[in-house]
Amino acid sequence: MAITFEHVGYTYQAGTPMATPALSDISFTVPDHGYLAIIGHTGSGKSTLIQQINALLKPTTGKITVDDFTITPQTTNADLKPLRRHVGMVFQFPESQLFEETIQRDIAFGPQNFGVSEEEANQRALDMLKTVGLDESFADRSPFELSGGQMRRVAIAGVLAMQPKVLILDEPTAGLDPQGRQEMMTLFNRLHQEQGLTIILVTHQMEDVAAYADEVAVMQAGKLLTCATPQEVFSDPTWVQNSDIDVPRAAKFAQRLGKRGVKWDQLPLTADQLADQLVQHWPGMGGQHE
Amino acid sequence: MENIIDVQHLSYRYQDTDGRPALDDISFTVRAGEWLALVGHNGSGKSTLARAVDGLLPFSEGTVTVGGIKLTPETVWEVREKIGMIFQNPDNQFVGATVEDDVAFGLENRQISRAEMVPRVKAALDEVGMQTFAQREPGALSGGQKQRVALAGIVAIAPDILILDEATSMLDPQGRRDMLALVQRLREEKHLTVISITHDIDEAASADRILVIDDGKLVEEAQPAEIFAQGERLVHLGLDVPFTAKLKQALQDRGITVPAGYQTTTEMEEWLWQSLSNT
Repeated sequence: MAITFEHVGYTYQAGTPMATPALSDISFTVPDHGYLAIIGHTGSGKSTLIQQINALLKPTTGKITVDDFTITPQTTNADLKPLRRHVGMVFQFPESQLFEETIQRDIAFGPQNFGVSEEEANQRALDMLKTVGLDESFADRSPFELSGGQMRRVAIAGVLAMQPKVLILDEPTAGLDPQGRQEMMTLFNRLHQEQGLTIILVTHQMEDVAAYADEVAVMQAGKLLTCATPQEVFSDPTWVQNSDIDVPRAAKFAQRLGKRGVKWDQLPLTADQLADQLVQHWPGMGGQHE
Repeated sequence: MENIIDVQHLSYRYQDTDGRPALDDISFTVRAGEWLALVGHNGSGKSTLARAVDGLLPFSEGTVTVGGIKLTPETVWEVREKIGMIFQNPDNQFVGATVEDDVAFGLENRQISRAEMVPRVKAALDEVGMQTFAQREPGALSGGQKQRVALAGIVAIAPDILILDEATSMLDPQGRRDMLALVQRLREEKHLTVISITHDIDEAASADRILVIDDGKLVEEAQPAEIFAQGERLVHLGLDVPFTAKLKQALQDRGITVPAGYQTTTEMEEWLWQSLSNT
């Protein structure tokens, strides 16, 4: 599913003395099967932005298109059910939303709510358990006896059981240990590659942006500073500094070597890209060295 | 330097029927003024260990001695006086309606007079750079600000030991860096002993020494450089692989011979520059 924002603005408590503008004039497009990362400091509008995509918050101005659905300030909630079935949202710390007595029932709750039969919803729950890396023995256990990382997987399985075409992830790895983080990001990438899910990832991890995203949107104070490939966004040191964003460690390191005179064809963003180019320069490794 | 914490043969089971102990015969010491990092994957027992040291767990085997006082049900309050603890989720540790009330809470518990309390709260908020937020509601602060307020609450009671239980893991990178810098400064000014439970490589790098906990056992004890030299295995220890180790692995995969051990980014930069210039 492709997603397009056209001049979207959003104001919290619009029309009251408490009105707080949170988004202004946001325009960008995510193609079908795209992988967009959204970065920016805490309070820059990232979470407000993604809540527009399944219309948890409706724009105050402008228009959002998700495939055939159009969301405008006039859209009513009754029109939104088909949209919400296709846009899966994983909030921050989604494990806090688990509530059922068994893991299977918790995962099956969403699809049943959207009219899927109990039998089919239960089957989907078992399938999704496997997808997130938990075996069937978990099905009848209480979600509340799991570790934090396992609870998060169950919550994500609940979103996947709706069979969304777009998956929105708001800092999905926050608070997990490095191994858990790695497994989680690999899972999302697999869903993206194998099932063609469009992914929108809000993150502070620039390594993940470099490794997975096709494009990265940079938010600052409710405005979209840019939306371009990670290569384009991270490559301009002056722009990066002025925009006060972090860059991947490999890029930072490459820039330090760059100051000493190492020439990069294009700025490496990962350790592998960096090593690829270093080999080119390496004495006696086929590299022409001046 | 004297040992401010001395743990000997500590074991703990959450339930008597648990086959596997949560803590299994753990012994270690911490010198006064030291920064010690406890690492391990989720569920390894590192938080359980920190809680045992703070007298929050009724362990049955072994001894814990803090500042020369042996931890028993009788001395637990005396021991806790010496320890301030900050947890992962800042929202779970606020009690006051305003920031200054919250910082005052620990002092009220210790029956400090109002005349003494007011300047101590103010000084503590100054210390962490949150003085202008004194009248604000804690819930409305950012994650990083909340953890600073929690730190102010600890500064106000002036303990000898600060335990950070994944205290930076819910902060954004900037918040994390600010918090670490603040802890570093407080540690120097107040001669604090710091124990930080962490998955963050930068936080672990701040430590003088790292203990690795796995399956309730103390499996390794070494300086950061020695631990970081383990490359890909670090993920199993609950830590990230440092960037320099990832780069070395990537170079090795491409047939380049790399130096052994752990390099800081500066050392790595120097080595690469030397190698590239060496024709």
